Amino acid sequence: MDDRDQTSNSDPAPAPASIVDGQEHRVDPRSVKVARIIGVSVTLPLALIPLIFVTIGWALGGIPSPVYFALFAGLLLLLALLVLFAYRWPAVRHERLRYLVDEGGLRIRRGVFWRKVVWIPISRVQHTDFSQGPVQRSFGLATLTVHTAGTAGASISLGGLEHGIATRLCDHLRPDRATDAD
Amino acid sequence: MFIAAGTVRALVLPAVGAIVASRGVLLARLDLLLLFVIVPALVYAFVRQKVYTYRFTESELVVRDGLLTRNVRHISYARIHNVALVRNPIHRLLGVATARIETAAGGKPEALLRVLSLEAADELRRTALGEEQTPSATGSAEMRPTDAPLLQVPDRELVRLGLISNRGFIVIAAVVGVVSQLNWWDQDWSRVYESLRARAPDWAGWLFESGSLTGRVLLGIVLILLAIALLRLFSITWYLVRYRNFTLRQKDEDLRAEYGLLTQVSSVIPVHRIQLVTVSVSFLHRCFGRASIDVETAGASDLSGQFAASGVLNTRQWLAPIVDSGRAAALVRKVLPEIDIEAVEWKPIEARAVRRIVNRVVIAVTPVTIGLAAVLTFSPIPLSGWHGLWLPSVVLPMTWLATRRWVRRAGYALTDRAIYFRSGWPGRQISAVRFVNMQTVAMHQSPFDHRRRMASVAVDTAGAGSVGHRILIPFLDVDVAESILHRLYVETRSTEFRW
Repeated sequence: MDDRDQTSNSDPAPAPASIVDGQEHRVDPRSVKVARIIGVSVTLPLALIPLIFVTIGWALGGIPSPVYFALFAGLLLLLALLVLFAYRWPAVRHERLRYLVDEGGLRIRRGVFWRKVVWIPISRVQHTDFSQGPVQRSFGLATLTVHTAGTAGASISLGGLEHGIATRLCDHLRPDRATDAD
Repeated sequence: MFIAAGTVRALVLPAVGAIVASRGVLLARLDLLLLFVIVPALVYAFVRQKVYTYRFTESELVVRDGLLTRNVRHISYARIHNVALVRNPIHRLLGVATARIETAAGGKPEALLRVLSLEAADELRRTALGEEQTPSATGSAEMRPTDAPLLQVPDRELVRLGLISNRGFIVIAAVVGVVSQLNWWDQDWSRVYESLRARAPDWAGWLFESGSLTGRVLLGIVLILLAIALLRLFSITWYLVRYRNFTLRQKDEDLRAEYGLLTQVSSVIPVHRIQLVTVSVSFLHRCFGRASIDVETAGASDLSGQFAASGVLNTRQWLAPIVDSGRAAALVRKVLPEIDIEAVEWKPIEARAVRRIVNRVVIAVTPVTIGLAAVLTFSPIPLSGWHGLWLPSVVLPMTWLATRRWVRRAGYALTDRAIYFRSGWPGRQISAVRFVNMQTVAMHQSPFDHRRRMASVAVDTAGAGSVGHRILIPFLDVDVAESILHRLYVETRSTEFRW
C-alpha cells in the first residue's frame, strides 16, 4: 500500500509544523491535470453518445442527409464546447481555491461565481477521511475530508493536496491535539 | 464472511419473494438471477470484506476502505460517543459481534466493524468510551420534577394562541378528508340555497333577496367571515386539546415539557444539547403582546428520526408555545444563562440592501407588467395597455417601504458568549447560538454580493433542521463579514464542543 500508513513514520524531509503557517496556499497544480483527465474522460464519451445515435439513424436511412450534417455539425460544436469547458474549468477553479492552516484550524476559500469561505476549527473536527482515487494516486495527490457535528458543514472536502501535505494536515486536524493543548 | 452472509440474506429474501409473487414465471429464469444478481453480489461482498480493514492506534481508530478510490478514516477515541454492539443469532452462535461506531457527526455510523470477537468489542468500548460510561446512570432520576415550573400556559393563553396561529386548517383538512369520503358534495346546491332561504329568520331575509347583487355580495362576505371564525374556533380547540396544561419544568439539568388533554406528552429537553434558540413574534403575536420560544436540540436521535421520514427535518421543539413578550427574554435567560436577548447591542446590516432587494422585485415584476399590458391591449376588456402600469406603481412603493423596514429591523449582535441574529417585519424572529455550539463558520458571496462588496455570514450548528430561523446574516459589508467570520472562528477555536 502506498497510501498513508502510520501517523508518525511516513513523512520525508519538511518539518511537520511547516504547513501550519497561517498563509494562504493553493492546492497542488497537478490537481488541475487530474481534474482535466477525469472531466474529459467523462464528458467525451457522454457527448459522443448522441453523435453516434444520429450517425446510426442516418446510416439506417431514418435521417435525411442535409439534416444529418446540420445535426452532426451542431453536436460536434456542442461536444467541442463541453470538452473545452471540462478542460478549462479545473484551472479556473484551482485559481480560486485557497486554504490556510493555523494552530486552531483550517480555512478554505473557494468558488468562482458563488464564493465561499469556511473556517473549520480543530476543536470541532469529529473525524477525517483521507482518500485517493486511481488518477489521483498516480499523481501522488489526495483528498482530505473533514467531518464535523454540523449540518450544512457536516463534511468539507479539500481535493488535490499533495500526498505528504494531506497526511500532515490530517495529523494536524486530529481533534485530541487541540484538546490536549487547552 | 459476515458481509457475504448479510448479502446472501439481503438477496435471498427479496428473490424468494419475487419468485413467489410471479407464481413461478421467474423460476425458469432462476439461473439468470443467480448469474446476474447473486454471484456479482457475493463477489462484491468478498472483495469489500478484503478491502475494509481497521486498526487501533493509541489515540484513534483507523479504518481503510475502497478498492479503486481508497479512503482512510481517522476517528479519535475522544470523539466516539457510542459503540453499539449488534448481535444477530449467527453472531451469537460464533461469539462475535458487529460494532457500530458513532460520533457526533450525523447520518450513518462512522464505522461498521463487522466481525469483532466479544473481548475485542469490550476492549474497544473501554478504550473508546473511557470513563464516559458513568453519565448514562442519570436515567434513574426519572419523574422527579424538583423546582417550580418555569412556565405554565393557562387555558386563556391557549385560546390566544389559537387565535394567533392558523392551525384551524389542520382540522379543516381532516374534515374535508372525511367529507370527501362520504360523497357529501354530490348534491344539488341550489336546493340547499333555497332551503336555507326558506328557513332564514326574518332579520336575515334580505340576504337572500334574489336578483339583488348587494345581497349576494353581503352573503358572500358573511360566509367568509363565518369561515374565518370557524377556522379560529377550530384552531383554539386544537391547541386546547393538544397543549392543555403545557408546563415547563427544570428537572435536574434538563427541562421537561408536559402537555396534552387526550394524548399526554412528556418530553425531555436536554439543556446541554440545545444548539440554537429562537424567539418569534409574528404580527399577530405582536398584537397580543405575546411571543413564542423554540429551541433546536441535537443528538436526540428518537426525535430527529421521527421527523426525518416526512422529508422536512424538524429538530425544533417549543420551550414556550406562547409567553408574554416581556417575559420571553427572562425565560431564555433562565434556561440558557449565557443568552440574553435584551442586553445585547444590535448592529445593523447594510442599508444598501434595500436597493438590492427592490431590484429583485423589479426584475420579477417587469415581465408580469408587460404580460398584463399585452393582455389588456389584445383582450376585449375596454382598458388600454397603459393600465398595466398600475401593477408596478402600486407594488414597487409598497415593496420599497416594507423592505426599508425589514432592513432597518434586521441586525446581529456578538457578546462574549454568543451570536445573535434578528430579522423580520412585521413580525420578528431572534435567534441565538452560543459559541460552544458553533461548528463551522462560513461566509458566502453570490455574484451580486461580490459586485456590491457584500457577503453573508452563516453559522452551522449540530442537528440543524431544514426549517426555521437561524443565524444567517445577509447583506453585510464584505470587510465586516470577514471580521465577524474571524472573530467567530477565534471563539470556536478556543472552546470545546460538548454533547
